[in-house]
Amino acid sequence: MTMETPTDEITTQDAAATAPVAAEAAAVLPHVIKVRKDFALPGIGFCMASSQTQPMIYVGLSDFSIQKVDLSSEKIEPAAFGTIQHSSYVSGLVRCGATLISGACDCSLIWWNSDSGDVIRRVSDAHARWIRMLAVSPDQTRVASVADDMHTKLWDAATGDCLATWGDYEVKTPQGFPSMLYAVAFSADGKWLATGDRTGRILVRDAMSGQIAATLETPVMYTWDPAARRHSIGGIRSLAFSNDSRQLAVGGMGKVGNIDHLEGVSRIEIFNWQTAERRLEIEDSKHKGLVEALQFGPDDAFLIAAGGDNSGFISVYNTADGKLLVQDKAAMHVHDFELHADARSLTAVGHHHGTVIDLFATPAQG
Amino acid sequence: MNQLSQPGVCVPSHHAVTRREFLSDRAVRLAGTAGIAGCFAADMGQVHALRSEELAGELKKQDKKVILLWLAGGASQLETWDPKPGAKTGGPFRAIPTNSTGVHISELLPELAQRMQHTAIIRSLNTKIADHGRGADLVETGRMKDPGILYPDLGAVVARELGRLESKVPDYVSLYTSTEGRRKGTSGFLGARYAPMFLSESMIPPNIARLAAISAIDHNDRAALRDALGRRFTEARRSASVDSHNAAYQRVQGLMASADLFDITKEPEEVQARYGPTQFGHQCLIARRLIEAGVPFVKVARAWWDSHGQNFETHQELCADLDHSMSVLLDDLEQRGLLKNTLVITLGEFGRTPQINASLGRDHFASAWSCSLSGLGIRGGAAYGKTDPEGQTVVEGEASAGDLFATILSALGIDYKHEYMVGARPVPLADFGSKPIAEVLT
Repeated sequence: MTMETPTDEITTQDAAATAPVAAEAAAVLPHVIKVRKDFALPGIGFCMASSQTQPMIYVGLSDFSIQKVDLSSEKIEPAAFGTIQHSSYVSGLVRCGATLISGACDCSLIWWNSDSGDVIRRVSDAHARWIRMLAVSPDQTRVASVADDMHTKLWDAATGDCLATWGDYEVKTPQGFPSMLYAVAFSADGKWLATGDRTGRILVRDAMSGQIAATLETPVMYTWDPAARRHSIGGIRSLAFSNDSRQLAVGGMGKVGNIDHLEGVSRIEIFNWQTAERRLEIEDSKHKGLVEALQFGPDDAFLIAAGGDNSGFISVYNTADGKLLVQDKAAMHVHDFELHADARSLTAVGHHHGTVIDLFATPAQG
Repeated sequence: MNQLSQPGVCVPSHHAVTRREFLSDRAVRLAGTAGIAGCFAADMGQVHALRSEELAGELKKQDKKVILLWLAGGASQLETWDPKPGAKTGGPFRAIPTNSTGVHISELLPELAQRMQHTAIIRSLNTKIADHGRGADLVETGRMKDPGILYPDLGAVVARELGRLESKVPDYVSLYTSTEGRRKGTSGFLGARYAPMFLSESMIPPNIARLAAISAIDHNDRAALRDALGRRFTEARRSASVDSHNAAYQRVQGLMASADLFDITKEPEEVQARYGPTQFGHQCLIARRLIEAGVPFVKVARAWWDSHGQNFETHQELCADLDHSMSVLLDDLEQRGLLKNTLVITLGEFGRTPQINASLGRDHFASAWSCSLSGLGIRGGAAYGKTDPEGQTVVEGEASAGDLFATILSALGIDYKHEYMVGARPVPLADFGSKPIAEVLT
């Protein structure tokens, strides 16, 4: 999903260069990571969704709230959104037209009017455990949710009806501990739905019938420590289909020595998922930690990854060869981001902070 | 006061006992501590003779036991016994009601929540030291380290106070199979007699199996011959030293025969299945088997809770293991009539910070944390102490490591004020100034 570009930063000089910049965006790969705006959040921002028409984002937080953030303000100050709150961490957020849908560790889904904040619908027992992520179909008619009950559910975005429940994952890890189902993504054509769990298993299914079309494994992203600490760390934390729906990028962390910390290298695997070919394996030793969010650029020429450990990173890779195009540390561990509509900048949220970042030296256009 | 000697400085006067003392309950304690540290090995006969069955106090007859579930690395009190849902430090998990009215614990412990009739929670530990090694030293011994003296840990003290001379099983067994933070435990000035049988590489003790070259018949025949010769020798020359010698042989034979206690396949499959597939579950089952066979103190270390990153996922895993394994253990002990004589403790070296770091972890924290006590001597359903709404400080009922030590000893019926003498130095079982928490005791 893309979002409107904040417009307040456009200068007269930039506006005059609108046409050349648009051409540059199509032809040139990102080459800078430049913070344009930084803002504080009243908690840990786990997820975000952009407004339909305005330079506005909604952020799901650890204080159980959803905050509305006007990115066009000179001084950005998040404002509480909604007439009620979840009763735990808000970990999934998507927008379908004028409706915002949130999911939380309290097992509930809430449909909101994105303008007024009124609750349209609440499904209290949407899942039996922590809802980790939501994804919306490109036509915005369906919403998928994944949770630690290891179920994937498909919801009618308009009515809130549960259209399907799929439970094809093991509820326990091979070592007998509770597993977790972290990530979900629709393909750009809306036909496929990918999910990823703690142990590194990815299922790609027909988004209508639920029939599994591919099973992929990323075992490096799951570390079980059998000797020193006797528990595990890792898992698939992010998924993104390419715009042609043929490739699937998977984000997590490489093998970890000391699982007390997020000290594994950030790791991405890109599959030609229909042939189960692991096309690229990308590990970054400079910035460690989980890859929490992924998004392909508009022509699939680049892939943006963000995440972190005790600090954060934003990295852009050339999808042709997996080489790093540009990278920098973020102001915070990043949990989610969205590329703006012009694909020249993005907004990221994470540990008590949010940031707007330019990916090209020439400032973004409205 | 018990009269102990400095290592290697054991003098005859330390062993002198008047007839009155000999017949008193005090004599049992006095006798049992007569040969500590260096003089212990040289004078086992004296120690053991005075701790024989006929002189054993009522305490030992009560057959009390302890299982310490050591949550190595430091479990989060917020994800276990002292949840703060809704606080900015509270994390994502709910608090759930227990079967004790008004007491709520983390939703990550749903099975234990239904067994709170056995369990008291202490939510107000302030042990101040948030360092793994020094924190463990403090909590395990109930006092700060002292360069001039090596204190025994809880297991050794309990083994010393509750162990029986005639026992053919170990007095103190410690299982710590993970490598991180592994600690053997120490009997300190109590000497090697009360040191733990430490199992780290395997759950089966090494080197206690009969040599393959000796058949079982030969082994038994040799033991019988030695016993017969020993009896004949003793008839004419009875002495404490000879008794000690015989006891040592019996003890070795007992240890060899106890190998089966560590073999959970000796349990019915249904029982094994109840304890579940994890190593911690298996070790809890071993602990029950050892307790049932007469071992007074068993420590099962469950490492590693040190969740600097991904605290919530770590606790989703480890709490599930603790919740199930401990619940099955409590049920099993109760069904076998053992829980009324067994104290089950959950404890680690400290708790975890209320603040959640950028890796979604919690760091070391010793200022306001929790533990639990279940079974023997415990007022089930009690929740003692209180922390502030964010869990940053203790606001009611602050308890030190010494207070916890005194509480545990009191639950076992052991006089926590009782003093060992290490040379001329009196050393109370619980540190000077410690007080038991009466509110969690029956």
